[in-house]
Amino acid sequence: MIVVDTVVKRYGSFTAVDGVSLDVRPGEIHGFLGPNGAGKTTTLRMIAGLLKPTSGRIEVNGHDLVKDAEAAKASLGFIPDRPFIYEKLTAGEFLRFHGGLYGIDGDGIQSRVQEMLDLFELRRWENELVESFSHGMKQRLVMSAAFLHRPPAVAVDEPMVGLDPRGARLIKDVFRRMAGHGVGILMSTHTLEVAQELCHRISIINRGQIIAQGTVDDVRKMAGGEDEHLTPVFLKLTGGSGLQEIDEVV
Amino acid sequence: MTTPFPYLLLPHLWSSRNRAQRRERGDLTRAVVFGAIALGVCGAIFGGSYWLTRELIEYAEFGDYLLRLGLSWLFLSFLAFLAFSSVVTSLSTFFLADDLRVLMAAPVSPRRLFHARFARTMGQASWMVVVFLTPVLIGIGAARCASPLYYVTAVLTLVPFSTIPVAFGTAATLVLVNVLPARRARDIMMLAGLAFAAAIVLVLRFIRPEQLLRVESLPDVTDFFATLQSPVTPLLPSFWAGESLFAGLQGGLDWMHAGALWTTALAATLVVAAASERWHFAGYSRSQEAPKSRFKQFRLLDRLVHLAPMSTVRRQLLLKDLKIFLRDISQILQLLPLLALVLLYLYNFRVLDLDRIPYMTEFVTNVYAFVNLGMAGFVMATVAVRFVFPAVSAEGGAFWLIRTSPISMRDFLWSKFWTGLCPVLLLTEMLTIAANELLGIDPFLKVVTAGAIVFMSFALVGLATGLGARYPRFGADPNQAAGSYGGVAFMILAVLFVIVTIVLIGWPTSIYLVRRFRGQPIRTFDEVRIIVFFGAAMILSVVTWLVSMRSGVRALQKMSD
Repeated sequence: MIVVDTVVKRYGSFTAVDGVSLDVRPGEIHGFLGPNGAGKTTTLRMIAGLLKPTSGRIEVNGHDLVKDAEAAKASLGFIPDRPFIYEKLTAGEFLRFHGGLYGIDGDGIQSRVQEMLDLFELRRWENELVESFSHGMKQRLVMSAAFLHRPPAVAVDEPMVGLDPRGARLIKDVFRRMAGHGVGILMSTHTLEVAQELCHRISIINRGQIIAQGTVDDVRKMAGGEDEHLTPVFLKLTGGSGLQEIDEVV
Repeated sequence: MTTPFPYLLLPHLWSSRNRAQRRERGDLTRAVVFGAIALGVCGAIFGGSYWLTRELIEYAEFGDYLLRLGLSWLFLSFLAFLAFSSVVTSLSTFFLADDLRVLMAAPVSPRRLFHARFARTMGQASWMVVVFLTPVLIGIGAARCASPLYYVTAVLTLVPFSTIPVAFGTAATLVLVNVLPARRARDIMMLAGLAFAAAIVLVLRFIRPEQLLRVESLPDVTDFFATLQSPVTPLLPSFWAGESLFAGLQGGLDWMHAGALWTTALAATLVVAAASERWHFAGYSRSQEAPKSRFKQFRLLDRLVHLAPMSTVRRQLLLKDLKIFLRDISQILQLLPLLALVLLYLYNFRVLDLDRIPYMTEFVTNVYAFVNLGMAGFVMATVAVRFVFPAVSAEGGAFWLIRTSPISMRDFLWSKFWTGLCPVLLLTEMLTIAANELLGIDPFLKVVTAGAIVFMSFALVGLATGLGARYPRFGADPNQAAGSYGGVAFMILAVLFVIVTIVLIGWPTSIYLVRRFRGQPIRTFDEVRIIVFFGAAMILSVVTWLVSMRSGVRALQKMSD
């Protein structure tokens, strides 16, 4: 579904992403983990077509993102970390507009919009302006848009930020169900419990390079630890717990 | 916690410093372009003010009278501008600014907050007036060989003169925010904008400057001056400022009017400070209410757009742009100055009674059609810089949606072009036809100017769309995009384009008209010349249109680099 092949992104002399390779298979939820500034968002923005890689190749559903950008984008749903949307549109209008961008119009769009609003529990807000929405509601609306055109692959940047426990559970259920229907999901997250609970495989990126890849068990073995939780494994791989420093400061 | 109030202004100063220190490609070009424009404008204002004052010296006491009248009128105009500007600015600085969340949550006393915000409002609302008045007052002083006392008086006059309307504007905002129901903030802006636009039209209608053209009826000129003087009441700060400055020009001091200015400024500030301490928090709290608003669904618009023969993508882009525009009052507010401009434009042509001016001939009337074309061109440029240039910037933070969707940047930008072209073409075409009808020009010229407007619209809307894509400001308020580097570059290029087009159309047409009025035959050479020049004007328009659009599309495509 999503293939990232030795992708590099440089800003002048700074290399933000350094030879990253990963693939997301149909029906797979692939966790993309890493500390702040490791290159997760840059990688996701390249997959979404927002940034051009300095080198390397990205394919979505078999379409090369450089050579066949429009077909690749039509196959992808993208959910950014911050849900910037048109504040002066209603939720329904926003989804219909989004459908239009993907060529969905006419009779089919209204029923699909209703489905998505129901799925993400936004139905009663259909005719309200987006400017009156909370952060979590905007996040759910962006997710509705991402799944609206039935993409075979989805890239998600920090999906749980700003969601209440009910919203977070809803999103997890939706992701599981979508994956069950064959959608490949690449999800960057800082919430390791979510990654552990949802992801079939994970990739850990640090300083622009993939340092570990595989199932949660594979990664645990790579770190040489027997911890049940992913957090100590993650900290071991990405460089220390920091607890000693915290004690010193406190 | 007890640091003086200027501490609260530091974030803005630091932000400005950081912006100034940041070096980007093209900074030097921008500095040169903006610097040259600023110097040119200041020089022109200084020159105009110097020349006019020198001319008035010739008329002795009558000249002095006119100068005093002129100063009072100048200050009255700025008083109105400052009052309007401070209502809008104080609404933002006292109630809507994002950093208020930090300041209101911090242990900052209401008085310190008021002083900091009032200083910021003063700066934001009055800088333009100060920048404009400086070369005017220096020009007057230089022409009258004024002593240094005049310049000291000028500074000491401008400070309280700016303070008074800002204090009143802040007080008005404070009252309105506390009194009006939900959504009042935007309503206030709407109200103030409407009042300002209406005031401009009414004042001009009131003084009827066209009477000066009626040189054959001198008593009317006397009436004209009487009309000019009537609203300049001695109770207004503009009158006090004018009188203080005039006294300074003559080497004296007008203690009474200077005193009136300073005491009023001080009293107004103290009163509004006390009122702010009492009612600011209540108003701020109400302005934080969830903006669940009444708004229109525009179902008819939906149906109409769906009837239009266009692709799904273009239809949805058009619907989205129209609905966002119609629901955003700050965008609609931008229409108000335009409305005032259009009213003035048509009003000028209506009152321009050419038959009463003895030296006006049929030929001059027809030449006036080109003045009309030029004015239509400038209206077109103004509309384009306000509404078409910011079209790409208006996508703001939501532009990721367009960039991640399967539509090409070419389709996106062309959709913006067509959305901008229709209203611009319709407006300027209607204006030109109406003005030409009012003037009663030659039918041949009516056709030529109507055709020219079509080509000019394509070129200027294309230029605005293309440059708007080359110099977008996604992070900033799109309403301010017109004043950015790209906006200024557009205006310069647009003015050049209009001038060149008028020359290309006007020159061969004037030769044709001269021959017709002299009863001479139109030679084949004249016809060929008209065709060549008209062809050149068309080619210029088409090239400007297509090259600008191509450049805009490329700039958008390069964004992902």
